[in-house]
Amino acid sequence: MPTLQVNGRRVTVDAEATILDAARAAGVKVPTLCQFDGLEPWGGCRLCVVDMSEAHWDDDYFKVVTSCNHPVAEGMTVVTDSERVVETRRVVLDLLLARCPDTPLIQRVAREHGIEATSYERNPEPTDCILCGLCTRVCDHIGVSAIASVNRGWGREIAPPFNQPPPDCIGCLACAEICPTDFIPYETSNIRRTIWGREFEMLRDPKTGEAAITKEQAEHFANRSGVPITYFEKSDTSKRREMAKTFAKLQVVK
Amino acid sequence: MKMIYKVSVERCIACGKCELACAFAHGSEGRPAKTRINIHRRGPEVGTPIVCFQCEEAGCVAVCPTQALVRNPETGAIDMVRSRCISCRMCVAGCPFGNMLWDDTYHCVQKCDLCGGDPRCVPFCPTGAIAWVPVEEAATPPEPLDREALAVEEGA
Repeated sequence: MPTLQVNGRRVTVDAEATILDAARAAGVKVPTLCQFDGLEPWGGCRLCVVDMSEAHWDDDYFKVVTSCNHPVAEGMTVVTDSERVVETRRVVLDLLLARCPDTPLIQRVAREHGIEATSYERNPEPTDCILCGLCTRVCDHIGVSAIASVNRGWGREIAPPFNQPPPDCIGCLACAEICPTDFIPYETSNIRRTIWGREFEMLRDPKTGEAAITKEQAEHFANRSGVPITYFEKSDTSKRREMAKTFAKLQVVK
Repeated sequence: MKMIYKVSVERCIACGKCELACAFAHGSEGRPAKTRINIHRRGPEVGTPIVCFQCEEAGCVAVCPTQALVRNPETGAIDMVRSRCISCRMCVAGCPFGNMLWDDTYHCVQKCDLCGGDPRCVPFCPTGAIAWVPVEEAATPPEPLDREALAVEEGA
């Protein structure tokens, strides 16, 4: 259990923890955009940068690292609000605000860092995609990898292969739900679901007609988790009704 | 002392107080239709309270792709770690008993967490159909409910 200092506060965390975990344990707020607790850290948004010095380094030597994917070490010193760290964050947010000038999330975080308007040229085609990669990472994480980031530089965007309806997509909506700016459009009902230009048929309850997941989703998760596919066939309301009937039969005292 | 959530179906009068208590305790805007405990009403004043079993080998835990459902060793409940949930709704479909509930207002899954060891629904149950009891006492059969004695006369 390494002990380190975050902004002068001593904190002890698990050996596998990251600097970001340690900062949170010490009650220090570090801004993040691409970090999500259920996914592997990525270090993509560069907003969580901190100044860090290891125990055996020179006292005044600090290095700027991304805290979300940097492991902690015994005796480490972390400063989350040094001048160059704040300046780095401001540049990142300034650039993001140029790319996404109309996105409320970016406007809010930028304002928290004292930026009202971007100092760069405003993107002529404003977008809400901040390229945080959460959607592609969550898709990889559940073992589907239907979407990816395509092109580089200015033209970088998130898209399915060749901008066609993705054949591997299972229609789970995880990408749309995790998107911090709600940029990914989708439509869902008890009958069908549409995302990334592909239409899915829902796995409907035979009695009530309700549906929570698509057929492809049920197959994928049944293979992945070993849970029999029959578990998914009925809706939660109909399962509860059946359970109530079973319990009524099992009553000890009439 | 290890405590367990006990449901005695025999004693439920389907009054819906547990649903209301849950709705208020968990901020689902006080709407009893969106709660973690649901009474299946089988007839006039006959109901079955249905709530998460906190299964040993749970279907929801098996299907969750981000390990957002973890056992709380203190309460014995399977807790939902909100920050890890990706809202893929697999647990809703995977629960064999229908006890994982999708909340469309907040776009998240609602799940009974035994209120961290003090279930808010229990003190509101007028007949003791739901109880929070030590494990040793859980296997005793429930007392029969005298429904006649509970009846309120017209105009009283």
